[in-house]
Formats: sequence, structure tokens, C-alpha cells
Amino acid sequence: MSSRGLTGRLFVSPWFITLIIFWLFPLLYSLYLGFTDYKLLSDSYKWVGFANFRALFSDQQFLQSLKNTFIFVIGTIPVTTIIALLLALLIDKKFPGRTIFRSGYFMPSITSMVVIALIFTNLYSRGGYIYLLADMLGLSPPENGFLLSNKTALFSVMAMDVWMSVGYYMLLFLAGLKSIPKELYEAAEVAGASMWRKFVSITLPLLKPVMLFIVVINTIKSFQVFIEIFVMTKGRYGSSTAVYFIYETGLNRFEFGYASAAAYILFIIIALFSIIQFGLLKQRGLR
Amino acid sequence: MKIAKYLILIFILLIMIFPLLWMFRVSLMPAGASISFQEFIRPLVTLSIYSDILTSGNMLKYFINSCIVGIAVTVGNILFCFMVGYSFSRFRYLGKNILFYSVLFVLMIPAHIMIIPLYLIIYKLGLYDSYWALILPFLVNPIGIFLVKQYIDTLPSAMEEAARVDGASELRILFRVVMPLCKPALAVLAIQVFLTNWNSFLFPFILTSSESVRTLPVGLALYQGHQAIDWQHLMAGSSLAVIPVLIIFLLFQRQIVSGITAGAIKQ
Repeated sequence: MSSRGLTGRLFVSPWFITLIIFWLFPLLYSLYLGFTDYKLLSDSYKWVGFANFRALFSDQQFLQSLKNTFIFVIGTIPVTTIIALLLALLIDKKFPGRTIFRSGYFMPSITSMVVIALIFTNLYSRGGYIYLLADMLGLSPPENGFLLSNKTALFSVMAMDVWMSVGYYMLLFLAGLKSIPKELYEAAEVAGASMWRKFVSITLPLLKPVMLFIVVINTIKSFQVFIEIFVMTKGRYGSSTAVYFIYETGLNRFEFGYASAAAYILFIIIALFSIIQFGLLKQRGLR
Repeated sequence: MKIAKYLILIFILLIMIFPLLWMFRVSLMPAGASISFQEFIRPLVTLSIYSDILTSGNMLKYFINSCIVGIAVTVGNILFCFMVGYSFSRFRYLGKNILFYSVLFVLMIPAHIMIIPLYLIIYKLGLYDSYWALILPFLVNPIGIFLVKQYIDTLPSAMEEAARVDGASELRILFRVVMPLCKPALAVLAIQVFLTNWNSFLFPFILTSSESVRTLPVGLALYQGHQAIDWQHLMAGSSLAVIPVLIIFLLFQRQIVSGITAGAIKQ
């Protein structure tokens, strides 16, 4: 091997080391742990086969947290995507002050999730401004605030999540809109197409790749919702999610084996969703 | 029509920035003030809470910890993502393709799967509850490698070849010839890594337990007031977490936007 090959390997070594120690090994280690009864207080642990997985599928807490995660994913993603697209369309054309609006809309998504969750904890609480607003509008908010009620806790976190992330996806849509050739619109105008017609026949089809990309990354992200649940509700009032369950069983009750099995179930669900969505992406791309 | 559009835009803008305005306003209230709307619009502002959290309690310590970890991780990523990206772009050796596929593979691994094993590994390596736990696993990241590799792919290699003919060492070529050319990509990388790390909660939370190494987001999430939650202090601490992000955002908006959209268009 030439000295150049050696240099190349030397330069790639930081990745190689990180890959082995902090990615591949943990990935396999946690798969292995999923098949053991490893708990903190037991020094010895043994292989238990699929026992953890079987137990999880009859664990009401886990199933509830999984159900909440699905509600979170299915509830937020369409809303976030549509609002983000509307915002992008609203500020796509150049006009005075455009940058200010773009920056303002985007700002929440680069702010710390912990900070946002703390702010909304107050705004949602009894006497908080969102609570007062809802009261003024006659919406009769739950007595102890939005986060301390089984009916509203999860949905309140979801609403905050939509508010926080629309600006980020708006930026992606703006990049997608920019890449649509102007000639297409000009040709459509010559042919006398209406605004709506142009949107349906040009904008929407050409935005499909970006839109699917947005849906894919948002799906992967939303399946792992954790921080806002930890800060705002600690999983109470029917708002526990899958990752919160993994944290709770793994690092509060130290049931490493059981938590690892739960993590792998979620991992497989995310992988399946990603594969389906990537399949769609390819299919649409061919047209 | 135009006025209607501006009214809509401004209305949305208010919704988007109000919570942050609220945070700053509460942090400027005197300690223990009720957060009523009358208090909110009262033109009375005091910095007393800030002088409080900067002189007593742990908030300043958390802030410094966040700076230490953020800077260490950012410097590490500039150096290592650059080296690795350069290696992928310019060198040929056995196993390179597999290693590059491993970057794309890791990019798709959801972080939640790492919670338990990373906690155990860090614990067994004796790194638990130290700065090292917050730095070592995060010194090189797949998105950064990908970004640098794509960028170097677009650069002509003539200057490197010329330097090589002149007898320059590989390290000299790496740092003196290629690195200066990569400044735009490395700037995007540095800003992205710093912001992500600055806001990071999950791993700093699970890999530490004592207040002496706690970062600001973790400190805020675990903040306990004396009786009820002390919102003025909590929001002043939150402002400490947000102000650096706002400054970076105002200074480097172009890089931040291009970093975000580059990933989307490529995929």
C-alpha cells in the first residue's frame, strides 16, 4: 500500500474510532441487552430470549406510551407541514421586510427546547397567558391548567411542538420553491392559467421531493419526542411517550434489559416508517 | 390587499416571538412579582435578578460548563470532520467505501437507541459525570463529515498536487492548502455544531449527575425553586441560554440557513 493510502487511513481514523466505540458497539450492545434481564442491582444477568419483548407487548404502560407517540406523530406532522408550506408561500416573493418575518418565524426552532418547554409550562398553567386567553375566548380551559389534565396534556405539548418547528420546515419549503424554474410560471401565465391552477399543476408537484423529505425527518424526530415531555409533564396525565418510557425504565428504575428491548421496538417502528416513506420518495421521483 | 397581507404577517410574527418576549420580560421583573398582565406592560424594568443569578447559585457555573463543552466539541468537529471528509474525498484505500456508507448509516440511527448503552459504556469507561462524557462521543459527527466531503469534492485538486510535487508534507497540505479553501464549509459546520451542542439536553442529562459539570439546559430543566417555581430566576437563566443563540443567529444567519437547506436539497 502506498504512503498516500496510509495517510488517508490516518485521516479517517477519528471517524473509525468513534464509529466503533460510540455507535456500532452501543448498537449491538443494546440489542444484546434486550435479550437479558440486566438490572442495576444484579451483578449477574442472564439471557432470557424474547421474554422482555413478550412482556412489553402486555405492559399497559408501554402500550399507552407507544399509542401516545403515534398520536403525537400522526397529529403533528400534517399540521406542521401544511402550516410550514403556507408560511413559505406567504413570504416566498420578495417584499420589504421579508427577512424580518423569515427570521422571526424561524427563531423558535433554534431556541433550546428546554427553554421553550419551560416558557410554555407557565403559559399553559392556571393563570398563564394562554390559559387566560382561552378563558377569555370562552373555551373553558381545564381547572388546573392545560398540562394537569388527562384531556389536554398531550395535545398541549403537540401544539407547542407545531408552533416551534413550523419555521424550520418553512425554510426547507422556501429552498424548494426557489429551485422551481421561473419559466414554468411564465409559460403558464401565457397560457392564461389561474393562481390556483399554477399552484396545483406546478408548485405542488415540484415541491413533492422537499415535502417528502420534510415528512421523513419530522417522522423520525417526532417518534423520539422526549425533552418536552420530561420538562412539562414528566409523563403524567396520559402524556408519556415511548422514549420517556425508555428513560423511565432504563435510567430511573435501572432495568437496562427491559428498556433496551423497548428501545429496539421503537427503533424497528421508525425504520419501517422510514423505509415506507423512502419508497414513496423514489416512486414519486420517477414520475 | 398589501396592507391585509402585512397585517397577517405581523400577527403571525407576534405569535412566533411572543413566548421569547415573555421570557425576557419576566426575567426583568423584580423577584417574586406576580406575572400578571398589568405587571407585564408596566414600564418597570430591573436587572436585579440577573445580578442575583450571576453572583449566587449555580446558573453561572452551568453557563460556563455549556461554554467549555460547546467550544471543545465545536473545535473537535472542525478538526476531525475536516480530516475525515478530506480523506473520503481525496484518498483511495481499501475499505473507504464501506466506511463512507457507515457515515450514511449512522446518520439514520435514531438517538434514542443509544440512551441505555451509551450510559453504560460511559459509566464503565469511568467517564460518567465528567466533561469527557459530554465531549468524547460527540467530537465528530456524520452530517459534518458529509458536508465537508461534498464541499471538497467540488474543489479542484491542482493546488494539492502542486504542493505535493514541491515536497510539502501531507499534514502541511491538509492544514495550509486545503483547510483555507474549506473555510465557508467549516464555518457552516462550526455554527451548526455549536448551536446543536449548546441546546443539547438528552445526553448531557443522562451522562452527568452532579451540578459541577451540568450544562445550562440540564440545569434549567432540573431547576428547583425554594417553594414554588421561581419564574423570574428561571427565566433569567433561560435568557442566558437564549442570548448567545440570538447573537449567533443575527451574525451568521446566512450560514445557518445554508447549512439547513444544503442537507434538504442534496437528499
